[in-house]
Amino acid sequence: MLKIEDLHVEVDGKPILKGINLDIEAGQVHAIMGPNGSGKSTLAYALAGREGYEVTKGSVLYKGQDLLEMAPELRAAEGVFLGFQYPVAIPGVSNIYFLKAALNAIRKHRGEDPLDAIDFMKLSKQKAALVQLPDELTKRSVNDGFSGGEKKRNEIYQMAMLEPSLAVLDETDSGLDIDALKVVAQGVNGLRGPDRALLVITHYQRLLDYIVPDVVHVLINGQIVRTGDKDLAKRLEKEGYSEVRDATQL
Amino acid sequence: MTEATSQTLLASLPASFDTGPDWLRTLRGRAAATLREQGLPTKRTEAWRFTPVRSLVDSEFSRDDEGVPALVSGVPEGVTVRGLTEVLESQPELLQGRLDLGGAPTHFAALNTALFRDGLWIDVPAGAVVEAPIEISHTSPTSSEPGVVYPRVLITAGEGAELTLIETYAGGRAAQLSNSVVEVELGRNAKMNHVRVHENAGLQIGRVDVRQDADSGYRSTVVTLGGALLRFDVRCLLQGKGAECQLDGAYLTDGDDHVDHHTLVEHQAPHCRSGQTYRGIVSGKSTAVFDGVVIVHRDAQKTEAHQENRNLLLSDTATIHTKPHLEIDADDVICSHGATVGALDEDQLFYLRARGVPEDFALAMLTYAFVESIVDRMSHEPTRARMREALLSRIPHGDEIREVT
Ligand SMILES: Nc1ncnc2c1ncn2[C@@H]1O[C@H](COP(=O)(O)OP(=O)(O)O)[C@@H](O)[C@H]1O
Ligand SMILES: [Mg+2]
Repeated sequence: MLKIEDLHVEVDGKPILKGINLDIEAGQVHAIMGPNGSGKSTLAYALAGREGYEVTKGSVLYKGQDLLEMAPELRAAEGVFLGFQYPVAIPGVSNIYFLKAALNAIRKHRGEDPLDAIDFMKLSKQKAALVQLPDELTKRSVNDGFSGGEKKRNEIYQMAMLEPSLAVLDETDSGLDIDALKVVAQGVNGLRGPDRALLVITHYQRLLDYIVPDVVHVLINGQIVRTGDKDLAKRLEKEGYSEVRDATQL
Repeated sequence: MTEATSQTLLASLPASFDTGPDWLRTLRGRAAATLREQGLPTKRTEAWRFTPVRSLVDSEFSRDDEGVPALVSGVPEGVTVRGLTEVLESQPELLQGRLDLGGAPTHFAALNTALFRDGLWIDVPAGAVVEAPIEISHTSPTSSEPGVVYPRVLITAGEGAELTLIETYAGGRAAQLSNSVVEVELGRNAKMNHVRVHENAGLQIGRVDVRQDADSGYRSTVVTLGGALLRFDVRCLLQGKGAECQLDGAYLTDGDDHVDHHTLVEHQAPHCRSGQTYRGIVSGKSTAVFDGVVIVHRDAQKTEAHQENRNLLLSDTATIHTKPHLEIDADDVICSHGATVGALDEDQLFYLRARGVPEDFALAMLTYAFVESIVDRMSHEPTRARMREALLSRIPHGDEIREVT
């Protein structure tokens, strides 16, 4: 599904990612853990195609296609979704109306007809209920005046609406209490399937109790220093990143 | 009635004023004398620095202001609407002390004062709460010959009265000049909602002058959809304790438009509040000007005044001048002001694109949202809907945005 080879990314001329290798197969859940500033969000943005995140070396193949060549909206149309660590508020743009534009653009790309208003609303109600996002919030301006938890639930609601093949979730757990975390995890797990893959970025292992990963990577200083199974996350939690850092001499 | 002669604006001032009550003749005579002495503004007149009025001052116009302004709808219950000429003939004492913009008018307002022929007096008596909007339209003549009209409107609202006024200024032809004055007097605790739309305005010089007594409220929403040369001034004098005003505006300019919005709020009494939010989308080779002044007098303690002007500059060849400005002589006040000129927010644009919205459509959505927020504050739903339509018809991808909203 996703094959990242020797990926180097610079921001403002400063090297942030220094040779990432990652191979995610359909049906898998990978987790990336790492201390603040290690480059987790940079990886997420580079995968989504954000301007200013300059790939200086390496390649990313998504379903066999060169992902890095595609505009952000084309990546979305091809089934890539980024759940933002800090979702931006967009006053004046209604959540549901923009999502309808997004979904119909994606459907058009797939050669499908646009959803009509009634079917769309039906789908929206169902998905909002899944993550316990009040129906009223789906109609408000995007993230405008939303609490931290509401923003994160809104991200998962949108993901559920768009049904991506590859979802990259950047610290979707941060700022959530345990109940909200369970709701969000449930929403994410509902999307797991043999044709889909997830890349879950997190600072804490807690989320991985609810979204159980197949593979865990540790990202430090722009490089993946360790890869293991879900027990690696548990060990990190106990020993801290410094142990891993020391053990790998970084 | 079109007069045979075409004259420059100043040349059209008569040597003497021979009709109407004495006080009006004096008022007009003084306005004319001021104009003869000071002339019309030039580039060297500070408040007119960015407004290219030279061509207006030099051009010749003929007059034809029959039927301007006109009531669009019926008169809602509780409101009296009379023609100014009729009142000046039958009961001139009712208007004495009015029609002078609270002092000695200058420049284009003086020209209107000297030369207006008829107009409307809209009176809402004390205690009358009028829900239905009063709608008036000012249409410039359609003649291809350069013409000038002098619309004049007086609004008086007694203690506790409430009204909504919707004014539309339209006139497609670039050679037609409208030089209007609207005066508003709000009594204690009176409330007025004033919507003003400049639609395809050719040459427009407009002035709104508001005097507010204690605890009154005035809300103005101005929507300017282009204009060959448009200059709009709104002035609010907060004269009574606890008065509030909110001045909002949205402007869209393109092509060779020149659109100029000026606000002046004077806090003369304590415990008053004022807010201003103007937003513009400036494209093509057009120029937009925002000049906003808040003056807080020494005795106006506990004043709260906010002022904001934000602009989206959508082309390299467009120009924006923005000058929010505070003059504060009191010490116990809360004031803020700010101006921005920029492009759309990159974070917002990326968010929309990352979800699958094509770039040009995402840009259009953000552009629309930027000005729609002003329209959204209008209290009158039919006008709001009409303004949304007007914005959509002028914004790229308007049809698609309409479909998803
Ligand atoms: N827009 C940016 N401009 C400059 N530096 C940035 C920018 N974004 C990230 N960085 C830098 O890149 C490094 C990695 O940041 P980030 O990817 O956000 O880390 P993480 O998500 O793991 O906390 C940090 O040193 C950060 O300061
Ligand atoms: Mg991060």
